[in-house]
Amino acid sequence: MVGETLRNLLMIAWLLPLAGFAVEIFGGFWGTRQSKLAAWLAVGCIGAGFLCSASALVIWGQSNGWAALHRGGHGDHGAAGHDSHEHDSHGGAEGHQDPHSSPPATEHGASEVNSAAATHLLTVAPAVSAAAGMLIQEPVAADASAGEAVSGQTVFSGTIYSLATFGDLQLSIDYYIDSLTLVMFTMVTLIATCIHLFAMGYMSDELTEEYVDHHAHLSNGHHVHRPGRFYRFFAFLSLFCFAMLGLVLAGNIFQVFIFWELVGICSFLLIGFYTERKTASNAANKAFIMNRVGDFGFLIGLMVLWTFFGTFQFGSTYAADGSVAQAGLFEMVHRDSHGKLLTDAATGDVIITDASGNAQLKADGQARTIPYYLLVVAGLGVFAGCIGKSAQFPLQTWLPDAMEGPTPVSALVHSATMVAAGVYLVGRFYPMFVQEVLLTIAYVGCITLFMAATIAVVATDIKKVLAYSTISQLGYMMLGLGVFGWGAGLFHLITHAFFKSLMFLCSGSVIHGCHHEQEMPKMGGLLKKMPITGLTMLVGVIAISGLAIPGTPIAFSGFHSKDAVVASALGFVKANPGHFLLFFVPLLTAGITAFYMFRLWFFTFIGKPRDRHVYDHCHESPAIMTVPLLVLSVFAAFCAVGGEEGVLYKLITGDQPAHIAEGIAGGLSASGITLPNAHSIHAPSESGGLSIHAQAGAWALLAAFAGALIAYVLYGTELVNLHEVKQQLSGAHSFLMNKWHFDELYDGLFMRPSHVIGKCCAWIDRTIFDGILHGAAQATVVVSKWDRLFDENVVDGFVNLLARATYSVGDSFKTIQTGRLRQYVMFIVVGVVALFAVLFSTFPR
Amino acid sequence: MVFSQLIEKLIQETTTSSLPYFGAELCLSVTIVLMLLVRLFNADRWLPAYLVAVLGAFAALWCTYSQSAQLNSGSVSDSQTFFGGMLIQDLFSVYFRVFLSLFVLLTIALTALTGIPDIEDGPDFYSLLLGSTIGMMLMASANNLLILFLGIEMTSVPSYAMVGFLKGRKTSSEAALKYVVYGAGAAGVMLYGISLLAGVLGTTDMSLLAVRLSEAAGGQTAGLADPEIRAVTLGVLLVMVGLAFKLSLVPFHFWCPDAFEGASAEVAGFLSVASKAGAFALLVRFCSALSGAAGTEDLLMAFGVSLGVIACITATFGNLAAYNQNNLKRLLAYSTIAHAGYMLMAVSAMMVMQNSGHAQLYQVDIQKSVEGLLYYLAVYLFMNLGAFAVIALARNYTFSEEIDSVKGLISQSPVLCISMMVCMFSLVGIPPFGGFFAKLMIFAAALKAGEIHWFMYVVVAIGGLNTVLSLFYYIRVLKTMFLDERPAQSRAVPIRLFSWEGSFVAVLALLVLLLGTLPRLMSGLSATANAAAHAVVSQL
Repeated sequence: MVGETLRNLLMIAWLLPLAGFAVEIFGGFWGTRQSKLAAWLAVGCIGAGFLCSASALVIWGQSNGWAALHRGGHGDHGAAGHDSHEHDSHGGAEGHQDPHSSPPATEHGASEVNSAAATHLLTVAPAVSAAAGMLIQEPVAADASAGEAVSGQTVFSGTIYSLATFGDLQLSIDYYIDSLTLVMFTMVTLIATCIHLFAMGYMSDELTEEYVDHHAHLSNGHHVHRPGRFYRFFAFLSLFCFAMLGLVLAGNIFQVFIFWELVGICSFLLIGFYTERKTASNAANKAFIMNRVGDFGFLIGLMVLWTFFGTFQFGSTYAADGSVAQAGLFEMVHRDSHGKLLTDAATGDVIITDASGNAQLKADGQARTIPYYLLVVAGLGVFAGCIGKSAQFPLQTWLPDAMEGPTPVSALVHSATMVAAGVYLVGRFYPMFVQEVLLTIAYVGCITLFMAATIAVVATDIKKVLAYSTISQLGYMMLGLGVFGWGAGLFHLITHAFFKSLMFLCSGSVIHGCHHEQEMPKMGGLLKKMPITGLTMLVGVIAISGLAIPGTPIAFSGFHSKDAVVASALGFVKANPGHFLLFFVPLLTAGITAFYMFRLWFFTFIGKPRDRHVYDHCHESPAIMTVPLLVLSVFAAFCAVGGEEGVLYKLITGDQPAHIAEGIAGGLSASGITLPNAHSIHAPSESGGLSIHAQAGAWALLAAFAGALIAYVLYGTELVNLHEVKQQLSGAHSFLMNKWHFDELYDGLFMRPSHVIGKCCAWIDRTIFDGILHGAAQATVVVSKWDRLFDENVVDGFVNLLARATYSVGDSFKTIQTGRLRQYVMFIVVGVVALFAVLFSTFPR
Repeated sequence: MVFSQLIEKLIQETTTSSLPYFGAELCLSVTIVLMLLVRLFNADRWLPAYLVAVLGAFAALWCTYSQSAQLNSGSVSDSQTFFGGMLIQDLFSVYFRVFLSLFVLLTIALTALTGIPDIEDGPDFYSLLLGSTIGMMLMASANNLLILFLGIEMTSVPSYAMVGFLKGRKTSSEAALKYVVYGAGAAGVMLYGISLLAGVLGTTDMSLLAVRLSEAAGGQTAGLADPEIRAVTLGVLLVMVGLAFKLSLVPFHFWCPDAFEGASAEVAGFLSVASKAGAFALLVRFCSALSGAAGTEDLLMAFGVSLGVIACITATFGNLAAYNQNNLKRLLAYSTIAHAGYMLMAVSAMMVMQNSGHAQLYQVDIQKSVEGLLYYLAVYLFMNLGAFAVIALARNYTFSEEIDSVKGLISQSPVLCISMMVCMFSLVGIPPFGGFFAKLMIFAAALKAGEIHWFMYVVVAIGGLNTVLSLFYYIRVLKTMFLDERPAQSRAVPIRLFSWEGSFVAVLALLVLLLGTLPRLMSGLSATANAAAHAVVSQL
């Protein structure tokens, strides 16, 4: 029941934007260019989607008595019992600040009883099932297979529509709803609604029959004149929302891939929205092509998965009688209570299990297995897709260029949602990743976050700074996931989505106010002119920098989530000292982050106006743009209240993969990575000092304060001559300005060789193949001359002969069929007699 | 048994079983009477004859449809003779009744659109049309050699009158006369054949033919050396000559081009499809009634192969002779001859497989060959009627049926040209139109029969070759319609898609397309055809 309600609500939220897209793109085309109808329609669709998602979240929570909030924050059921109780009340009290996810306070007591039972179920179920050798990812879902709605069920999966069946391969539209899905849905729809509203103001220039694009020039030097494309923008946004929500709702990896590509094409369309600008169309191409590189890996991963597992579904599908018809991918890779994979003793291959954790047998009685290295390949393949989508090293260069799109697009697609889809997929697909893959993820994230942060330090385009900061923060998320901080990484995904979309919208507001000026060196002192934008931006800056007042619970969202990531990293490094960089680099980068974000803010809003012209014409944006800013700033500030004991974190981790709580001691392979369990991070150290979490938090806060302070000194005051600093560090500066020379590197690595190879091919083509072809052509001409003679005389002669013969046959019949009845009757006789003759001469005697 | 009891039993049987089975024919008969009555009371001013005819055809369609539903539901036995064993009721005959009712309905619609019988002549024309249809239905359900003859004659006699229906035109009357005399000759030959069969085998009941033939062979392998077998063979041959006349197979096709050229396009379309369908129903019944008895395999196999030979000759002749025709109806007459050749290949394949001595082994394939024939007929209904309808509709404006009259028609009436294109491509057998799949099924059956007799491979090869040959004259028509300039002095053909005429041909063309593209429709039709085929060949 609950499952169906949730499915229906989320499907409405998912499909409404598609319907909106269809109406907008056609209606807009036939309508007038000055109409705002398309925008209102888009806002209506996504707003209704938000209401559906939020109510789905509430329904889901009430159906299981908000079990996610009541369980121990880190799955440490027994040891932290006292703690968790304390946190419970904490979470409940703070629930008011989170309007769409908190249980009503009056129900809190009543639901305590239910939830106690639910918690009991949750805590006992793993133990029982582990004993029975069936520790699966969501213990309660197994109960649901019996067909009755268990009040504690938190994960719902099933098929919406079956697309096709090829042999054993089922291609279907599935859904997989757990706490993560619901939180993502609510987040995406909420942010999208705000951004849609903002975009109505931001894109109002397009509400005209003749739009003059000052950035696009014709060959004669004139600006491009074109009709406004207001409706088209909102149609694309709606299509994007449909694709993104479909990706989140997807119940199988192939469906994820489909919507993955759909968001890719939407991103392409939106980056290249100003398609007349060469830079925009180049950037759109770049984003699209670089993503294809990643998707190539994704496809390889899909092939491996299909070959060995024979299904794409995440969760099990159930037959009509409630039995498991087809185990899902997550159930097929079984981990014991120590998080180890079930392996074949002789070969070391990983055994593929059914839904209850028993090995699946092939026809010959042998267990189905998958070689361990192929599991690694599959994981790396899927992660390669995530690298492309989330702009991780080495495919990160497309994201800054993607800033060519309109700013609302940058806010929605290229910071809050689509690029986070890569992170989301890593989180969703977590049960399939083995340690080696996780380590790769961690290092990729680590490299990315540092590199992007350093580039952001020198960027002067306000959107570019934000773009690099996005890459860097995505790196944090990846790092968090890679070091087994599943909750931490996804926690950061949500908080980042709020504060980064806020900051992008603020930058959009600035750009709009400054008449499309994006260079920070031309701004300055804008706080007086646009106070709302400036202050909300400050909220975002503080949030992303991770500032907090030590010793008090006062902190913005970014502090909590970054804290969680860094703490996970420290826990990992303590367990695996060889990988110390995974802690120190993010720690350092936390400082750099604070530095460049405050640099941006001081540069833009404080100090003297550096360009009088820009300053004089600058104005605060209209209410339709500032209200979304205010809404988002509330969420950016307070969505993570309570940190890892808060509502949001607990909701996200409500259905976390089972093996995370336990940690994994030592790997299967020689690398022997130990993945610490979450509890160990929070436990006080043996010597009675601070817990790992507290240590990491302190260090990170220190770094952030240091960064912010330096930024203030350099850009907020006039103590230091920036020009001199730049001169002295010119080498480093130019290195960073050139984005670590990645574009040049790729140019040298791929483009130039391609050109050289292309030239070689062209040369070979021209001299050798063309030579052969020309020779052949000449030979053909000669032959065809002979052929023509042959044709005209022999073949045509034959054909003509045949035709003439045919015609003469027809003519002969014409002469026969002159209407002489006697002849006709005679032909019957002749025919019959002839048949007699044939019959007597040929038939068996 | 006392005579009065016999009468009692006859009445009982007639009223309880025979008349319901005869429902469709009765509907049509009543319609004929009604139409004549309507005119008698001068009511045809406000109740045009075609309306009555359409109602009658609808009633017949409904009646046959309910018969098929009854048979499919299994509430009555699969195969039942009635009227004292003269007629037979099974899915095969019901398939043809549905087919014929539908076709006559479409033909009436077409004639109502083109107005070829004027109000005065309407009742006469439709009486002839429906009468002819009754004859065809009789052919499809014949279980007796006399009914076979009766059916053919009942079909033919109204056809003669319909061919000559354009009273004022000399060619029309001439064509009718040729048709009559030729038909009479063929009928005489066939009747002689029937008398030979009945005389030697001692029965005219078709269901007994095979057994009696086997008895005549006297337990040995039947051969021409035996005088009785020789007489029977001659009889079979002569009956087949009669059928070949209806099918316009070479060398008994002479009437066909003349009759088609003389008749109006509507009548030509009706004859080309309906009488062919009836004749094929009879041929399949006759052949499968003969087949299967012990000792006669070699003889009947020779008949099967001979049919293959005739099929090849007919297809090749029809296609080649169509090359230099300038009259569209005449061209389509030759095309009709060629298509009879293709369809005969299915019968030939059926007969070869039935008499292979392993009929049980080939049961599925035998069914498939008949299924192919039935599918072909169904597609042929739409594509051939479509082509004739285009000619008839264009004629109403241009007053000509010469190929030059449709020159550049695309500029004036795209719907006619595109419908014509669909129909003609389907006639050639180009995917994705229905004709392709129909042809494919028949060739597949012939290919399978090639496992038994090598000549069937030759049949398939010649069939394929003929498809290529036929391209020429069909494309020539299309080229004239699409690529040539419309001469300035030619009369305008203002038929739009959204008119009765335009939508009529468009619907026909659409059905031809759907029969090749819509899997549901195709599998439904082929399943129905297969059930009908099962009914006729499972009597072995």
